[in-house]
Amino acid sequence: MKTQTENVIVTRDLRKTYEDGGVPVEAVRGIDFALTKGEFTAIIGPSGSGKTTFLNLMAGLDSPTGGEVELSGNLISEMSGKELSNYRRDHIGFIFQAYNLFPVLTVEENIEYIMLLQGVHKKERHERVMKILEQVELQDFAGRLPSKLSGGQQQRVAVARAMVSKPSLVIADEPTANLDSKTSGDLLDMMKKLNEETGMTFLFSTHDEIVMKRARKVVTIRDGLLYKTDESSE
Amino acid sequence: MSLTAKLAWRNIFRQRRRTILTIMTMTGGFVLSSLSIGWMDGSYSGMILFFTNHRTGQIQVHKEGYLDNPSIYDTIDNYSSVGLEIDSLENVRAWAPRIYTGALLASREEGSPSGIYSNSAAAAIIGIDPRLEENATEFSNQITDGEMLTASEADSSLRATGQILLGKELALTLNVTVGDSLILFSQAADGSGADRKYTVQGIVSTGNPEVDRTTSYLTLADSQLLFALEGRVHELAVMTTSLGEVDAAAAEISGVTGSLGLETASWKVFAREFYAGMKADETQLKIMLAIIIGVAALGVLNTILMMVLERRREFGVMKAIGTQPKSIVRMIVLEANLMGLVSIIAGGILSTIGLLILSKHGMVFDPPMDYGGFVFREMLASITPACYWIPSVSVMITSSVVSLIPALKAAHTDAAKSLRTV
Ligand SMILES: Nc1ncnc2c1ncn2[C@@H]1O[C@H](COP(=O)(O)OP(=O)(O)O)[C@@H](O)[C@H]1O
Ligand SMILES: [Mg+2]
Repeated sequence: MKTQTENVIVTRDLRKTYEDGGVPVEAVRGIDFALTKGEFTAIIGPSGSGKTTFLNLMAGLDSPTGGEVELSGNLISEMSGKELSNYRRDHIGFIFQAYNLFPVLTVEENIEYIMLLQGVHKKERHERVMKILEQVELQDFAGRLPSKLSGGQQQRVAVARAMVSKPSLVIADEPTANLDSKTSGDLLDMMKKLNEETGMTFLFSTHDEIVMKRARKVVTIRDGLLYKTDESSE
Repeated sequence: MSLTAKLAWRNIFRQRRRTILTIMTMTGGFVLSSLSIGWMDGSYSGMILFFTNHRTGQIQVHKEGYLDNPSIYDTIDNYSSVGLEIDSLENVRAWAPRIYTGALLASREEGSPSGIYSNSAAAAIIGIDPRLEENATEFSNQITDGEMLTASEADSSLRATGQILLGKELALTLNVTVGDSLILFSQAADGSGADRKYTVQGIVSTGNPEVDRTTSYLTLADSQLLFALEGRVHELAVMTTSLGEVDAAAAEISGVTGSLGLETASWKVFAREFYAGMKADETQLKIMLAIIIGVAALGVLNTILMMVLERRREFGVMKAIGTQPKSIVRMIVLEANLMGLVSIIAGGILSTIGLLILSKHGMVFDPPMDYGGFVFREMLASITPACYWIPSVSVMITSSVVSLIPALKAAHTDAAKSLRTV
């Protein structure tokens, strides 16, 4: 199918050099990368290899010192602060290692947060929240506060929050680092199932065997450079 | 409720202890400011009312130049027609004509030979119209012994009564009591010698011993006769319906007196010393209020800065998922404003209780306090709109200003940095 080969995000010679007390740290050193719609791809590499930096650059959270990021034909380097903010709101779904749900908002309110920013109507918000809660199997937890949920449950809420606004790309930086292996496996199975059902594109970093095994494509980064790409057999 | 408002409202319940502390700080500032304003307002309007109602009037009319350099010759000549015209003005409650001169008073012990005076004292002589004075200042309330002067039938008859009232301390100096007689020596306006015998009709206590040591009172008719000032007075004291009407009334009176070579002055002018003292106190109050607000503001700034530091990651997440920085600013300022609002409600209730108590049971001065020549026994707070709106506006402005810097800091959180876990 044509949509299967459509590029969601492309990076060209992407570079990021940090200044660390006057010493330049080359975190990303020229990455050419493309992600097509519907991919379920893992970025792996040792700690400090530049995974987080690379994801942040694609998400528009950090600005590159060289090269460019293009999302559906738009260069994010040309966006103003406000446009970048809206870009993240409308095109990127975030899943963080530490869940990072808003502690004062209920599960439902956390999930509808982005839709509120987008101005989605109340009725539609509610319907979409209920549907996604069913998909992450938390339909009975809509009114709970995050502190009343287990880590695995919280991360499922985070998955729901990231997906509910139907972003072009869901970015997850080490989503299982705080979870035990059983929970990690379950979470990844769920994400993969959602990827299949919705066709949404997933990109996640990990150095977890359990997660790598479930990725359809594994991209290895070393010292800020793309090292190799493995397509899984399935 | 908007998302920002919902977040702000719930956030203030997160660190309950700190929120309560912040609210208590602001409430304390509110109550202190409110009570100081009520106390200041109350004690001053109390003082002004006291000394103007019991002595000076709120407005005085004199011949031009008299206030700066009083002289027996500077008189208001057609005083009764001027007085009646003033009396007919809307904001005027009462008026009283007065003559101010001085004399030597002398008394003689029983049985001592004539011409030999055992006690004497110099004193101010104030000529008053007993009926008008009573109407204006309730003068008889100050008479502790004996009687008020007898009103003459008609001013034109100038019938002398031969009565005199003496200040309490003056009577002691002269060693006389009610019913005793004394001689008054002075000089009349026409240059002739003025001396005459008077009988002590009553003893006056104004509450100010300084005044009571040096003041005696005759009827207007008696003093006009004695000093050859027929039909003339030095001063018209005017009482207005309320303190708030003084400036309006003074303007109206100026309209009547301006063309007659007379000058009209409100208490702010003829009691300059007092007025200047009051203004200085007001400045002091403003400084004190600024300090109270400053201290409270620092406390609030501190807690909000702490809060912003603790929630850095949360602001990072908000920004990462597409929240505009200005929404974050709004949320934090709103959190401070909400705490401010609670403080205003709590402070309003506590201040009202405090002000009610201070307005019923103020500060009693024993001995009485002398303030710019006027004596006060008691000061009470008054409850005015300023007791509420000034502290409320201060709390809202302070909470907004003080939260703005932390809010801007929060809004500029570097999302990527704040989210790094390593
Ligand atoms: N804000 C920063 N300032 C300086 N150096 C940084 C900063 N962020 C990351 N780095 C450095 O960049 C390199 C890549 O880091 P990171 O992208 O976090 O790698 P990974 O996610 O693979 O562990 C590391 O050497 C790290 O120390
Ligand atoms: Mg990382």
